[in-house]
Amino acid sequence: MENFVNALVSGLISGSLYAAMALGLTIIYGVSRVFNFGHGVIAVIGAYFTWYLLSNFGVPFLLATLLSMAFMALFGWLLYRFTINPLLKKPNWEFSTVLFMLGAGILLENVVLQIFGPRVKSIPLLAEGALKVAFIQINWHEILLIVIVLVAILALSLFFKYTRTGQAMRAVAQSVPGAQVVGINIEQIFGMTFALAFVVTGFSGILLGTKYYLNPHIGWEWMVKGFVIVTFGGLGSTSGAVVAALILGLVEAVATLYLGAIWVWPIWFVLFLIVLLLRPQGILGGRA
Amino acid sequence: MLKNFNWKSALYILVIAFILLYPWLGASSYNKHLFILFFIWSIVAANWNLMMGYAGINSLGNIGFMAIGGYTAGILAKSFGIPPLLTVPIAGLVTSLVVTLALGLPALRLSGIYIALLTLIFADTLPSLLTQTREITGGAMGLHEIPPFYPGMDKTGAYYICFVFFLIVLGIIYRVIHSPTGMAFVALRDSENFAYCLGVNKFRERLKVFALSSLLTGAAGGMYVHALGDISPTTLGIEPFLLTIAMIELGGVGTFFGPILGAAVIVFGNEFLRLAGTLRLTLLGALICTIILFYPGGVIQLFHSLEHQIERLLKRKPSTS
Amino acid sequence: MLAIKDLDSYYADLQVLRGVSLHVEEGEVIALFGPNGHGKSTLLKAICGLQPPKRGSIQFKGEEIAGLPAHQIVERGLAYIPEERHLFTDMTVLENLYLGAYPRHARSAVKRNLEYVFHIFPRLAERRNQLCSTLSGGEARMVAIGRGLMSETSLLMVDEPSIGLSPGMKLAVFDAIRQIHQERNMTILIVEQEIQHALEMSNRIYLMKKGQIAFERKGEEIQVEEIEKAYF
Repeated sequence: MENFVNALVSGLISGSLYAAMALGLTIIYGVSRVFNFGHGVIAVIGAYFTWYLLSNFGVPFLLATLLSMAFMALFGWLLYRFTINPLLKKPNWEFSTVLFMLGAGILLENVVLQIFGPRVKSIPLLAEGALKVAFIQINWHEILLIVIVLVAILALSLFFKYTRTGQAMRAVAQSVPGAQVVGINIEQIFGMTFALAFVVTGFSGILLGTKYYLNPHIGWEWMVKGFVIVTFGGLGSTSGAVVAALILGLVEAVATLYLGAIWVWPIWFVLFLIVLLLRPQGILGGRA
Repeated sequence: MLKNFNWKSALYILVIAFILLYPWLGASSYNKHLFILFFIWSIVAANWNLMMGYAGINSLGNIGFMAIGGYTAGILAKSFGIPPLLTVPIAGLVTSLVVTLALGLPALRLSGIYIALLTLIFADTLPSLLTQTREITGGAMGLHEIPPFYPGMDKTGAYYICFVFFLIVLGIIYRVIHSPTGMAFVALRDSENFAYCLGVNKFRERLKVFALSSLLTGAAGGMYVHALGDISPTTLGIEPFLLTIAMIELGGVGTFFGPILGAAVIVFGNEFLRLAGTLRLTLLGALICTIILFYPGGVIQLFHSLEHQIERLLKRKPSTS
Repeated sequence: MLAIKDLDSYYADLQVLRGVSLHVEEGEVIALFGPNGHGKSTLLKAICGLQPPKRGSIQFKGEEIAGLPAHQIVERGLAYIPEERHLFTDMTVLENLYLGAYPRHARSAVKRNLEYVFHIFPRLAERRNQLCSTLSGGEARMVAIGRGLMSETSLLMVDEPSIGLSPGMKLAVFDAIRQIHQERNMTILIVEQEIQHALEMSNRIYLMKKGQIAFERKGEEIQVEEIEKAYF
C-alpha cells in the first residue's frame, strides 16, 4: 500500500513533466501538420541554454528561464521561416519535413555535444527539503514542478481561448482554408506556432533538467516518449496529450514497482499499438 | 544494329564489366570490402526508396529490418548450423512477417505520419531488446564469427556472391517499379484522385510493397552477416540510419538509380567522413538538411541534365557526318 | 468595384480558366451561372487568393490584387463564402463569428456586425454557444455567411449557398442574401445552380462554360429557360 501510493505520486510527477514535454510536439502538429522529429534536442537546447546562464554567469533562475524562453522563441521562428516554410511549399512536404527535422536534430545534438561536451549536467533544484504526510514523502521541488506545469497548462489554455493569436492558431488547426477566408495570415501563424512550441518545449527541458540529468543525447529518449504520448492522446490534441502523459506516467511508475523498470517500455509500446489499432484518433479525439 | 546502340547501355555494360573484372585488376582486400558494403547498402537503400520514394510509405525503421534479418541469419547459422543458402531467405521471411504484422498492418491504414512514428519507435526499441536477450543475441557485444557463405571463403568469394545478390534484388525492384503496382504508385504520387479513379487499393498495394521490401531488406541483413562475419547493436545505431537516409536523399529519392548512386558516394566517401572524427555526425546531419532544403532532386538530377546534354550532342552528330 | 481581365488559371497542368473577363459595379448583384466543373468556383478562388491565377489582372477598388495572399485580399474588404463552408467545427458559433472579424479594419465594427448577423439570422443568436460540428447544414451555411459579414466587407462572393439544403432552407438563405443586399447595399457576386432564385435578385448575369465567359446579360433580359439551354 505504502509503496503503491508512493508510486502513484512519482507517476504523477513524471507524468506532468512528460505532459509539458509533449505539448510542444502536439501544438506544432495540430496547427501546421508538421511532425517535429527533432523535438527532443529542442528541449535539450532550452535546458542547456539555461544551465549555461546559471553556471557561467550566475544569472538568477527566473531570469535565466525567461532569457532562454526568449531565445527559444526566436530560434523557433527562424527555423520555421528559413527551413520549414520553403519545405511546406513542396509537394512531398510531409515526409521531407520529417527527414529534415531528423537531420537537423542530429546536427544540433552534435553541436551541443561539441560545445558542452559529453559530461552529464544538471540544473539545481528549485527547492530543498520534503513534505511528509503519514508515510508519503514528496520533495518540495517535485511539488513545485507539478504546480509549475499546472500553471503553464492553464496559461496555455487561456492563451488559446482568449487571445487573438491563440484563436487564430486554433482556427488554422481546424481548417486552413477557413482561416484563409477570414483573413488569417497562415504563414505568420505557423511562425508564431513554432515560436510558441519551442518556448514550451525549451521550458519543459528546463524542468526535466532539474528532475533528471542532462546530456546532449537525452533528448532522443524524451522525444520517443513524447511520440507515444501524443499519439496516445490523439495527434494535435493538447488536452489529449496531457491526459495521455499522466496515464503513461502512472503506468510507468506502477510497472516499475511491480515488474521492474525494463518492462516499462514494452508495456508502453503495447499500449501504443492497442490504441493505434482500436482508436487511431487517440483517447481524446484528435485526428486520425 | 548500330542504330539501336545506346550510349547508356554501353555505360551499364562497362560498369558491370568493371565490377566483374575488378578483383583481377589488383583490387586490394580493403577495396573489395568496400564494394561488398556498397552492394549491401545499395540494396538496403533501394528497398527503402521503394517504400518512401515510390509507395509513399514513410518508414524510418529499415535499418531495424536489416538488423532483424542479420540477427536471424546469424543465430540460425551459428547456433543451429543451418547453411547460409537457407538462412538468408529465412531471414528475409522472418523479417517480413514480423514487421508486416507488427508495423505495417496497424499503421499503413492511417495517415503517413503514423508509420514514421511507429517504425521509429520500433527501431528505437530494438537495441534494448537485444541487451535483454544477451544469451541468444550476444547483447551489446553482438554476434561474432558467424559462418561465411562457404567454408574457407575469401573476400573475392564474398564479393561475387554479394554482387550476384545485388543484381538479383535490383532486378526485382526494377520489375516492381515497372509493374502495374509500381505504375499505380507513380500515379498515386502524382495525383491521388487520378489513382483512385483507376481503382487502386492503396492500403493493399502498400502492404504488398511493405512486405516485399522488408523481405529483401531482411535478406540483405543475412547477406551482411555472412559476408562480414559479425553484427552488433551499433549496426542499427543512429549512424547507419543517417548514412542510409543520406544515400537515398543524396542520390535522388523516388528514382531507380538514385539510391544506388547515393550508396556509392556515401560508402566510398565515408572514408573521408572518417577524417572528420567526432564531427562526423554533425556533418552528416548538415548534409541531409542541405540536400533536402536545396537539392531535393539529388545527384541523379545532375546526371539527367548531363544525359540531355549528351543526347543532344549525339543527335547532332549524324546530321553532320 | 471589381474588374477582371484575361484571367488564366491552372489546376496542375489543366487549364481551368481561359481568358475570363468580367466586372462588378458597386451595389450590384451579379449571378454567375454555368455547368459544374466549368470554372466558376475556380474563378472565385482566384479572386479571393485561395488559388492564385497564372495570368491576367484582378482589380478591386482600383487596386491590383491578382496573386496577393488571401489575407491581404480579405483586408481590402472582399469576403468569400466557400461552397464547402470551411467552418471551425470544434468552436462555437460565436467564436466562428468573432474570427470572421479577424482583419484589422473589421475589429472596431465587431459589435455592430454581430448584431447585424443576429438580425439576419436570429437562429444563430439562439445557438451562439453551440459547437459548429453540431449544427444542421442550413445553420452551418448561416454561420458561413455570417462569418463573411463580420469582416466588414464591401463585396460578398457567395459560392453555391443553397447546395444540399432543404427547399425551405434554400428560400431562407436566398431571402437573407436579398436582405443583406437591400439593407446594406452590399455588392454581391453569387454562383448558384438554383437559377430561378438567383436570377430574380440579379442585376446582371454571366454564363461560364469551359473556363470562358459564354455571354453576359441584364437580369431582366433573360429567361431561366435560355440559361438552362446554354448549359448543353
